[in-house]
Amino acid sequence: MKKIILVGKPNCGKSLLFNQLTGLRQKVANFPGVTVELKSGQFNDFEVIDFPGTYSLHSLSKDEEIAIDKLNEALTDDNTALLVCVLDATRLERSLVFGLQAQALAHRHNKSIVFALNMIDEVQRFGLDIDADKLSKTLGSPVFALSAKALTGIAEFKKALPTLAANPAAVNNSFSHLDEKQLLQRSRDLGGEFAVNVDLVLKNQNRIDAFLLNNVLGGVAFLAIMFFLFQSIFTWATPLMDGVETIIAGTAMAVTSFTGEGIVSDFLNDAIFGGLGSFLVFVPQIMVLTLIIGLLEDSGYLARAALICHKPLSYFGLSGRSFIPYLSGHACAIPAIMAARTIESPRKRLITMMTIPLMSCSARLPVYALLIAVLIPENQYLFGLFNMQGVAFFGLYFFGIVVALIISLILNQMTAKDKELSDMPFILELPTYRLPHWKPLIHKVLNSGAQFIKRAAPIIFFVSLGIWVLGYFPQDGDLQESYLGQIGHFVEPIFEPLGLDWRYGVAIIMSFLAREVFVGALGTMFGIAGADENIGGLAANIQADGLTLGAGIGLLLFYVVALQCVATVAVLKAETGKARIAWGLYVAYGILAYIIAAVAANVIG
Amino acid sequence: MTLWEMKAKSHAHIDSICDSLTSAVASRLAEMGFTAGQPVICVRRSPLQGPLVVQIGDCVYSLEQAVASKIRLSQLS
Repeated sequence: MKKIILVGKPNCGKSLLFNQLTGLRQKVANFPGVTVELKSGQFNDFEVIDFPGTYSLHSLSKDEEIAIDKLNEALTDDNTALLVCVLDATRLERSLVFGLQAQALAHRHNKSIVFALNMIDEVQRFGLDIDADKLSKTLGSPVFALSAKALTGIAEFKKALPTLAANPAAVNNSFSHLDEKQLLQRSRDLGGEFAVNVDLVLKNQNRIDAFLLNNVLGGVAFLAIMFFLFQSIFTWATPLMDGVETIIAGTAMAVTSFTGEGIVSDFLNDAIFGGLGSFLVFVPQIMVLTLIIGLLEDSGYLARAALICHKPLSYFGLSGRSFIPYLSGHACAIPAIMAARTIESPRKRLITMMTIPLMSCSARLPVYALLIAVLIPENQYLFGLFNMQGVAFFGLYFFGIVVALIISLILNQMTAKDKELSDMPFILELPTYRLPHWKPLIHKVLNSGAQFIKRAAPIIFFVSLGIWVLGYFPQDGDLQESYLGQIGHFVEPIFEPLGLDWRYGVAIIMSFLAREVFVGALGTMFGIAGADENIGGLAANIQADGLTLGAGIGLLLFYVVALQCVATVAVLKAETGKARIAWGLYVAYGILAYIIAAVAANVIG
Repeated sequence: MTLWEMKAKSHAHIDSICDSLTSAVASRLAEMGFTAGQPVICVRRSPLQGPLVVQIGDCVYSLEQAVASKIRLSQLS
């Protein structure tokens, strides 16, 4: 199939144009270790490939370097019929810096290029226009004025594309041979000749920034937006998560009613529906988080959030761009570690990725909920405004963030030697505020769910299988006598300093594969069927069994710090490119968690 | 005078980019519009020496001290 390549600078509306061309079906190809993500979809008989937005063909980071290499590779491909460069009509000069570089590149490879002058509606709203015909003559390549959002000019563009792709025409201008400096001057001249008044375009943006970046009001707005985001993760996602749980439970019932009692049904119930199912429950939460972050990103706010956070985070050796990954980490470390790709400095990116697992992700929620119900009375203070259990929750989240910042600080000190060499400064474009369009957002949300399942499902499956085999045999379902039980009694001395007996020990060991296993494992051992659903009952049982306050708080803090998630280790390994770092963190956070828990157990008693 | 010393709401012109920045960063800055003679406006300053916000050409950028102090301005605007 012949290919059409879509390029342009970031924030030029390229994704939306891509969606308008290709419709709902698209594939995403990820390259391990880097941000580079190539989306492809079908338009008529062509495969359209959406390249990541780039400011320039001269890369500043590893990610850009790979994106540019891939672009060069695509241009040497005989199947590549056409290069489409998207320009932002409101920022013509800046878009043309990359546009002219892309044109020169296409020229060198004997490929034809067309320019899509996007967001023309925003220019026209000011009662202005850009002479696309004249621009086309000057550039020596076709120019289509259009708006992917308002759909102006899209029909004409779609109609012209196949013809242009079928009859490639060489670039016809006199400046394809110019050097970099001359190209910059050329784009400035073209901007001066064609672009609309800058102040008009930037007036709105600067007016909103006067509020959102205000020293006082901006801070208040920032906190309000973060509060809204947390609310959405924990309250809006709940009905969806309950829905998934109900569907899994229903499927489990239906399937096991066919298999009848016995080993097959036990396996399906415990390993497949119990193990794999308990992790599918988190998919809606990840999708809701992606939606909210996508809304913030597409509206232009995220860049402001990074700006606001840059200075405070830089005291800990982090960047303003570390803020988003940290935030996402409260839903799930996996997308958060991937989100760290946007951090320009490799060192800060590494520190951010290494500390993300300390953010209290949603898999810890069931553990927190159970232990808080056991330990903390449900007292209300100040007319119900403060609830002791709620305060305990907040305290655990806060503890995780504080530990992450301390470790960042230590890592920063340790790597301070090569600080000057490898560090990229914080330079950020503040894009225009825009109302997000639903099409790219929906794709992002669906893709986040699919990616999460694809990455984590195989690991969780094998882990569940292994645990189940160890816990089931040799006595067919008698946990005390199983291999797992034997291991439990063997390792009991390790957990003695934490004030915990072998049952907790086994649950903790099992949860080193995935922490959500803890509640289910403990539930099984306390002899309650379906402990996942009935946390209140299990909490009462544990209370009756007698868990000391010190051991309980120690256990909670243990879960804040320990990196008990094989899926996270796998992603860390892929993203850092070093197994050493991933497994090193796994062990180091385990030891740190153990020490903190032991101290808590012995100090509080 | 450097970009970092600009007061909020003030106008100036870019003079040059300091050699101590790596060539990759310097050429990116040039592509972003930070080239000799370009007018620049300091849109705002952040508290605690946080990144400043400048408008150059058709874009608004945020730069931290480490890079803004390496961009020289011409004395008279």
